Amino acid sequence: MPVNRRKLAALLVGLLATVVAAGTAAASHNSTPGVSKHQITIGGTFPFSGPAALYKTIPVAEQAYFAYVNSRGGVFHRKITDITYDDQYDPSQTVPQTQKLVEQDHVFAIFGSLGTAPVLSTWKSLNKAHIPQVLVATGDAYWGNCVHHKCQGSTKPWTMGWQPDYPGEAKLYAKYILKHNKGAKIGVLYQNDAYGRNYLAGLKTGLGSHSNEIVDAESYNLGDSAQVIAAHVVKLRAAGADTFVIFATPTATIQSLVARTLIGWNPLTFVNNVSNNRIFELAATKNGANIDGIISTGYVESPTQQANLPGMKLAKAIIHKYAPALDQNLAAGDYNIPYGLGAAWTFVYALKHAGKNPTRASLMHALRTMNTKQNPFLYPGIVLKTSKKRGFPMEQLVFDRWSGGATGDWHAFGGVVNSGH
Amino acid sequence: MRRLPTLASLLGVAGVLAVLPFLLSAYHVSLVAKVGIFFIGVLGLNILTGYTGQISIGHGAFMAIGGYTTAVLSRDHNVNLVVTMLAAFALCFVFGVLVGLPALRFSGVYLALVTFALAVSVPQLPLKWSKFLGGRDGVQTSRTVSHLWLYGAAWTTSAILFVLAWLILRGRIGRAFRAVRDSEIAAVASGVELPLYKTLAFGISAAYAGVAGSLFVLATNGFAAPDEFGVVLSLELLIGAAVAGLGSLWGILAGAAFVGLLPAVSTSVPVIGSEHGRDVVFGAAVIVVMLLLPDGFAGLLAGIRRRLARA
Repeated sequence: MPVNRRKLAALLVGLLATVVAAGTAAASHNSTPGVSKHQITIGGTFPFSGPAALYKTIPVAEQAYFAYVNSRGGVFHRKITDITYDDQYDPSQTVPQTQKLVEQDHVFAIFGSLGTAPVLSTWKSLNKAHIPQVLVATGDAYWGNCVHHKCQGSTKPWTMGWQPDYPGEAKLYAKYILKHNKGAKIGVLYQNDAYGRNYLAGLKTGLGSHSNEIVDAESYNLGDSAQVIAAHVVKLRAAGADTFVIFATPTATIQSLVARTLIGWNPLTFVNNVSNNRIFELAATKNGANIDGIISTGYVESPTQQANLPGMKLAKAIIHKYAPALDQNLAAGDYNIPYGLGAAWTFVYALKHAGKNPTRASLMHALRTMNTKQNPFLYPGIVLKTSKKRGFPMEQLVFDRWSGGATGDWHAFGGVVNSGH
Repeated sequence: MRRLPTLASLLGVAGVLAVLPFLLSAYHVSLVAKVGIFFIGVLGLNILTGYTGQISIGHGAFMAIGGYTTAVLSRDHNVNLVVTMLAAFALCFVFGVLVGLPALRFSGVYLALVTFALAVSVPQLPLKWSKFLGGRDGVQTSRTVSHLWLYGAAWTTSAILFVLAWLILRGRIGRAFRAVRDSEIAAVASGVELPLYKTLAFGISAAYAGVAGSLFVLATNGFAAPDEFGVVLSLELLIGAAVAGLGSLWGILAGAAFVGLLPAVSTSVPVIGSEHGRDVVFGAAVIVVMLLLPDGFAGLLAGIRRRLARA
């Protein structure tokens, strides 16, 4: 029996140590979790690996921006610590990782978590606990619509998005078509889920009484092969469409652009801004697509076209100093980097307006009463504005047109336009 | 599980589990609850692979069915969550029996491929019927549960299902299962009805996976989405069963702890903690376990016992 007793003793000591450690960790925090005299701790979940890993440059850019702010003294002399965990875009991992951020790391707020399903999985619980879940990296309309309206049985005032929402963007394409292509015959390719359907619904709303101009809407499933995508494109052409609207995720967008060239079809073509990262278009041209003239929308400053503007100069300096591994990505025009920098800028802006001793409520108040055009990483002129009536911080976009073929780029035209509600 | 473990070890485990919530932080309680959920899944798979000799690399699909059963029943009809777990058990038993039918014709690697197809295809169904099953945006239960509720539910269910497994395996059915595993021809010659017992083994182990899936969704804040039930989940169950070895309480606990805790622990590992850290640690640990413990944790325990007896 002495062996067992020794084991038991070891177990008890271990448990005691855990309890003591947990106790001291909790005791070192004052009334507002994550905020101490010299530090503010925030955190988020991101797909560092898995199917959506191409977005992993966003959190790296965000941390680079916080490092830059910290080097200049932080916010009210507090340094920002941004903890990121890999959830592989899988909600069953988002939930425990977010619990870890809240319960172990005692974060002040969840910042920037990426992906609609991952954010949805933690939506209810964070709102219930009055923990800010802010500037999440997804363009679904939930985050703006459910601030005052009940969704899943309750309002969700503690959650806020950042980028323009998908239906609003789709309405802009509708406006453009109505203006420039009267009597259009529109063919739509959309992803068969809420993401794609919300886009399609936005397009129909925007077309209004002209929504019968949609001659065919083809849906594909995420993960469908290039052949399946191509078959949909062929069908849209056969339906007589002279306008091609793509509401897809990057891989399917690239495949449909390639298919469009292969069958020699050259309609007026729209690509949604999820797929408007220059890197994706270059991938399409590399696979034989001729994409000159296709239209999309954006909202961040272009690292390639606007490299001489102060925002991109700052971006280059910050990335080079704090995340040099991304130098190449920025040079190639990866929009995720200005995205991450811009989101982090917005958080810092809100934190500055949340008072010298910020609370979770004062952070939300600051975020819900924003009004600024100063974000240097956004396309010049785009305003970040929120109010009681306005839950979407960004409701403006800029039209882009691609030219220059395989070494080409997006070129903005027409200035900033409202995608508002 | 043929022999019930000694009363002392059962009481020991139960005692530790009863005390843990008072000692651990809420977050760690939720981690130990996750272990309980995988305990149920690994236990069920053990009945199929360990006792009946039928392989399945598709049990994540049954977890998906069980999880969606809970999510949809709660969302649409506000059904009591415990009742949804029973429904998941029953529904997955039926699906398991249906999937067991091909097992009558296939064996070995061919059966593995059939079940693998299941693991790949079932998580796609919510995208197909997205109105009913929520598509990529998932299904949210009307009620969510606390860490403590989850912990209690996971380990109470584990205890019930462990005893149930013991009752099933100690008698006639368990004997038939083992006969099928050791030699199908000999089993038939001895009067074991192959179709009955093969499909029954599939049904039982699928039902276990269904309950595990139900709790798995509750552990994900009651949110069921396709990305949660990827192929990796099926592999995790299989790895858990391999780590567990055959038919020992300690083995299954070890297997469940391995797959339940590793994802959380590996993110805390410095350097490789973030990017792909989980996959690297998982893969490396599997290789190490398979090299050092080819018969799983149960095999290790048996070896120690033999050595002690000799000494």
